[in-house]
Amino acid sequence: MAKNTSHSGLSPRKVTKETLIYLFLGIWALINLFPLYWMFTFSLKSNKEIHGDNIIGLPKNWLWSNYETAIKNGHIFETFKNSAVIAIITIVIVMFVSLMATFALTRFVWKGRKTMNKFFMLGLTIPVHVAIVPLYISFSKLNMLDTIWALIIPYAAFSLAMAIMVCTGFMQSIPIELDEAACIDGCGTWRIFFTIICPLMKPAVATVSIYTFLQCWNELMFATIFMNKIKTLPVGVQALHGKYLVEWGPIGAAMVLATFPMLIFYIILSRKIQDSFIAGAIKG
Amino acid sequence: MKKRIFAALMAALMVVGVVGCGKKDNAKDGKTSLTMWCIATESDSNRKSYEKSIQDFKDNHPDIDFSWEAIENQAYKTKIKAAVSANEMPDIFFTWSCAFLGDFVSAGRVYCVDDVYKQYADELPEVMMGNVKYDGKYYGVPMTMNIVGMFCNMEILKEVGYTAVPATYDELIECCDKLVAAGKIPFGCSGKETWCVTEYLESIIEKTAGATALNKIFAGTESWNNADVSKAVGIFQEMIEKGYFDPSGIALTNDEVKANFMDGKYAFYMNGTWNCADFDKAGLSDKIVVAEFPVIDASKSQLGELIGGPSDTLAVAQDSKNAKLAAESAFELAKGICHYGYLDGCGLPAWTPDYDTSSVNPLTQSVAEICANASQYVLFGDTAMTAESATIYLEYVSKIYSSEISGADFVSGLVEKIK
Amino acid sequence: MKKLYSNKLTICLFLLPAILLFVGVLVAPIVMSLYYSFFDWDGISSTKTFVGFNNYKEMFTDDTINMGLALKNTCILALLSVVIQLPLSLFLALLLAKGRKGERGFLSVYFMPVLISTVVIGQLWMKIYNPDYGILNVALRSLGLEKWTRIWLGDKKTALWAAFVPTLWQYVGYHMLLLYAGVKSVPPEYREAAMIDGAREGQINRYIIIPYIKPILKISVIFAVTGSFKSFDLIYVLTNGGPAGATQVPSTRMIELLFTRNRYGMGSAIATVLIVMCFVAALLIGFFFREKED
Repeated sequence: MAKNTSHSGLSPRKVTKETLIYLFLGIWALINLFPLYWMFTFSLKSNKEIHGDNIIGLPKNWLWSNYETAIKNGHIFETFKNSAVIAIITIVIVMFVSLMATFALTRFVWKGRKTMNKFFMLGLTIPVHVAIVPLYISFSKLNMLDTIWALIIPYAAFSLAMAIMVCTGFMQSIPIELDEAACIDGCGTWRIFFTIICPLMKPAVATVSIYTFLQCWNELMFATIFMNKIKTLPVGVQALHGKYLVEWGPIGAAMVLATFPMLIFYIILSRKIQDSFIAGAIKG
Repeated sequence: MKKRIFAALMAALMVVGVVGCGKKDNAKDGKTSLTMWCIATESDSNRKSYEKSIQDFKDNHPDIDFSWEAIENQAYKTKIKAAVSANEMPDIFFTWSCAFLGDFVSAGRVYCVDDVYKQYADELPEVMMGNVKYDGKYYGVPMTMNIVGMFCNMEILKEVGYTAVPATYDELIECCDKLVAAGKIPFGCSGKETWCVTEYLESIIEKTAGATALNKIFAGTESWNNADVSKAVGIFQEMIEKGYFDPSGIALTNDEVKANFMDGKYAFYMNGTWNCADFDKAGLSDKIVVAEFPVIDASKSQLGELIGGPSDTLAVAQDSKNAKLAAESAFELAKGICHYGYLDGCGLPAWTPDYDTSSVNPLTQSVAEICANASQYVLFGDTAMTAESATIYLEYVSKIYSSEISGADFVSGLVEKIK
Repeated sequence: MKKLYSNKLTICLFLLPAILLFVGVLVAPIVMSLYYSFFDWDGISSTKTFVGFNNYKEMFTDDTINMGLALKNTCILALLSVVIQLPLSLFLALLLAKGRKGERGFLSVYFMPVLISTVVIGQLWMKIYNPDYGILNVALRSLGLEKWTRIWLGDKKTALWAAFVPTLWQYVGYHMLLLYAGVKSVPPEYREAAMIDGAREGQINRYIIIPYIKPILKISVIFAVTGSFKSFDLIYVLTNGGPAGATQVPSTRMIELLFTRNRYGMGSAIATVLIVMCFVAALLIGFFFREKED
């Protein structure tokens, strides 16, 4: 039987099959790219075009003024900065806390390890909205409302379960022999953790960062309710909704300003991110 | 690696320090500080009137350190409730009158403004205070009011031979039949936002059963079990059946329906009179006329009985450190917001105008005329009823619009569910 | 080594931050929800009445809450996400991971909808479904399928499906990336060995790759099911539970009760039901996959 590798011996049947596959992949790609095109053109249109006149075509008048409105009324730059600061700190905290917890859950031998794992899984089950009032009351007692911690703490907590889940699979794949060798060299637990385990967990960092980032970048509920002076991006975008009249163009512009930097960042880093996903996907 | 992580952590902490500081600046330089929350975000049509009024206030009171936050309408409802639960309210806050404020009042979280109101009684008529009165006491300051208006596109009416808005109910029906025959859609109404359906339904119920009866039903002093209500629902559903309403409306938002109306797709659009300014701004003032829905049962209702009333209100927190001062400030601010808002066409004034109003847009002026002849108001049902009842009521209204239940089901359902 | 890795104090220190965050932010609200769910309370006033299990009974009997329908809807969504969304993601992952030209490009593009805010996605789909000028109806009309056109989000028969399609679509890329990573981590020797034995593409996928990535499939299924149970954003934007309550899911009802209807006790009861559902589902899925692994 001839070796059936994908590049040699292209029979006509195979060619059709490949063409069909690429056609399918291409169409699916278009479906997924369409929202970007749509969002961009949307951001340059008037309400009249958005609601009926011209929903998918290019704008008739390119209303760059929508961007001006968005930046001015939505305070996009300022809110962008606040959101970025909050996201970065949240990611750093989630990373450390989840790495430490995973270390204890995978390396150490103790009773109740499994139960503890299940306990952390609870985090996946909680609808964020139930936490609003209890957290609001606690934060107000601690005088923490309207500080960035009022957002970072819940964001971190809600990302933790997923982070631990991802890190667990990862850390288990690091051979225990490394720890043993370090131990023989006289390293303590903390040094093993910081000098051996943490550096090897680098790929997990990317995966967890992306998840955490997605959790907090578009979050609106906590951000409106817990904060007054410090506003985040979604709150800025939300502020563009009038009570009776909604100008959708500037909202689209604000969305573009909120999304595109992130997309560009993603595209530049996508190879790295994908690689780290692959590295992270070892038996969990 | 370790060093880098450490550096990143430190950097993060420093950023936190910078961002985190500079909040909580209570009472600096011996000034009294007052805070206010409202829903006049930068894109809100009321924004300018708030800004001007607050500027005036700051100029008049250099001794007060006044700060304010605007939060988007929908999010605000949740935010203010969370703040009330935790007793973390600002000194002055925006609220809707009647039931929304009523819940806060009965929880003992709102300051009674009776004393301060006395100073303003000549400028702010007592009829306007009806929706902020609980157990005989006043708990808020109304700013603007709005009613439901029937906006008519005269260009479309002309096409079927009308030069004036049909004045009687029979004429209106005849007009609608002609429109349908000519392939035009008489009414547009968003079904996705149920409050839009109530703008139609409440008008029809009121013109069938009368304002007094409807007010009593909304207040819960009279039962929903009323033959006129089920008759009115029947009339509304018949209009839907006869194709008077755009069938797409059920899946559209109000923004989309409004855009359709402004685009000339519908002959009539019944909605709040806050739309006047937008229609005027879009240059439609000469095409669009605003009118009252005609009387259906003349033995029970009459023209001049309107759906609407003062709803936008400022209130003061019971636990404010300077409650008295906050209450005085609330009156001053409300008066200013009312003044500038009316001039901008954002609604009708709850306060008696003592300034030149000739610059107000023609549509708002014709609404003012309608209001000048008003005999009685019925506040929007979802504002008048408590939160729980209002939600149930809206759910039933949406079932009417999708023609899932009949007038009799509507009445019996509400009798059973609303306590 | 063993001694080092069984020091109780160190274990505690490593777990402490995570436990603090969890207990403070997640467990406390769960306990409070459970507690409030036994009361009739408006969330504002200082008095609340103990009503026992009444809230749990009422949510099924009261047709203005109609929890039965909400649960049915959310289960349909969970089921769809397991039988449509995940297989599609897996299919794409398998196609791409084989090593095709431009696979990285496709991968990046497929992940993009995940990065876009729900508000934008919601607005876009509203325009797709718009009965008059929406892309879907316009396309049907131009294909001569006039009678297939619908008021997609306004018709009780179609609204649920119309609201679920975007929800399912948005996260295909997310699951695909997870699964793709899994497929890529299969040692190439496995594939080569199977090829030498004359296995066809489908057989390799079925007998080698899928069993190998089972742990990742498990995670994907857990995310898909718990995510479906909690789904809120897109449904809220697209239908807000309408028409006439036909697309209500537990989370939309919960928000309505907590913050619109001022029925904090009842809202908490629904939250409790949701939490239990998600947790049980996660455990069951874990159990199911473990059985299969043996």
